[in-house]
Amino acid sequence: MGKIVIDESRCKACYLCIDECPKKLIKKSEKTNKLGDHLVEFCDPNNECLGCAMCATRCPDLAICEVYKG
Amino acid sequence: MAVQTFKLPKSLKEGAKFSFCPGCDHGVAVRILAEVLDELGLTENTITATSIGCSVTIYDFINVDAIEAPHGRALAEATGIKRARPDKCVFTYQGDGDFASIGIGESLHCALRGENITAICINNTTYGMTGGQLGPTTLLGQKTTTSPTGRNVEYYGYPIKIAEHIALCDGTAYSARVSLDTVANIKKAKQAIKKAFEIQMKGLGFTFIEILSTCPTNWKMTPEQAHDRVRNQMMEVFKPGVYKDITAEKTV
Ligand SMILES: Cc1ncc(C[n+]2csc(CCOP(=O)(O)OP(=O)(O)O)c2C)c(N)n1
Ligand code: SF4
Ligand code: SF4
Ligand code: SF4
Ligand SMILES: [Mg+2]
Repeated sequence: MGKIVIDESRCKACYLCIDECPKKLIKKSEKTNKLGDHLVEFCDPNNECLGCAMCATRCPDLAICEVYKG
Repeated sequence: MAVQTFKLPKSLKEGAKFSFCPGCDHGVAVRILAEVLDELGLTENTITATSIGCSVTIYDFINVDAIEAPHGRALAEATGIKRARPDKCVFTYQGDGDFASIGIGESLHCALRGENITAICINNTTYGMTGGQLGPTTLLGQKTTTSPTGRNVEYYGYPIKIAEHIALCDGTAYSARVSLDTVANIKKAKQAIKKAFEIQMKGLGFTFIEILSTCPTNWKMTPEQAHDRVRNQMMEVFKPGVYKDITAEKTV
């Protein structure tokens, strides 16, 4: 069981993390940034997150800033 | 108990927010560079000479002393810094235009002199900051604002393979080309940067890493499409690999 922390103030809505997650646990959220682009949210109702940090490694803007495993 | 598998490097300023366009690989390059400085314990002992281009903003984000250089002159400035303070880790972070167009003389001669400096060149096949003009690494056929019908050899000549040229310089200890198109390649890129800094700190000569990077804004692509372009077009011409490593038994 893993967990990620998203700093929404850094997210530029590039959506690279959405495709990167092997478990597809990141999706567009209802919330928007100041340009009106939809931010992303971590959605893991079945505790599938691997804590692999692929999302954070791919994120170019330090928005996925913490990842935990186990 | 939960184990933290990812945190932001301490070599980045707290609260740093990159000013790059959405999805631009510059952000990944700066982060892995900062991770390497953390891992090698070099943060407190490093000075950078910065370039002109989208790379210039690095001094806003990284926790090391920085001196701005005129366009293309980062390695001339870095030479002065390193010769005055040979105990310091000195690096440059430059674009393809900065490193291989206006700065090609400074860059090649720094390698030929074998200065103990690490240079990182972000190759995005264009002048990103100024709006996407043709640069030294623009691919044949690539449309830019100054090659609107595509780069052709007759008019513009060929793109330069930077890592191969640097490898040919006798003062070079390490020259590699890496890519950031996949997570696996991001990890390889970080290892190459680490290797270069380790060789610099041993005083073995000039070290160089060319990083294939995206410019979604000027390529007029989504960040995802831009990574496909790196894979399918750039890596065909600019082949990733280690072109010189004097610490290895064999090199490509
Ligand atoms: C002497 C001088 N000539 C031209 C410019 C204009 N200029 C600013 S950035 C740039 C090109 C940057 O391209 P590159 O080095 O590839 O960096 P990128 O923005 O693509 O990362 C140019 C030509 C300048 N600032 N100074
Ligand atoms: S840590 Fe791995 S599994 Fe968890 S959200 Fe990120 S990419 Fe997905
Ligand atoms: S990769 Fe980072 S900046 Fe891009 S959408 Fe995901 S969290 Fe936001
Ligand atoms: S112009 Fe291109 S290289 Fe510069 S920040 Fe934007 S996407 Fe990145
Ligand atoms: Mg460029």
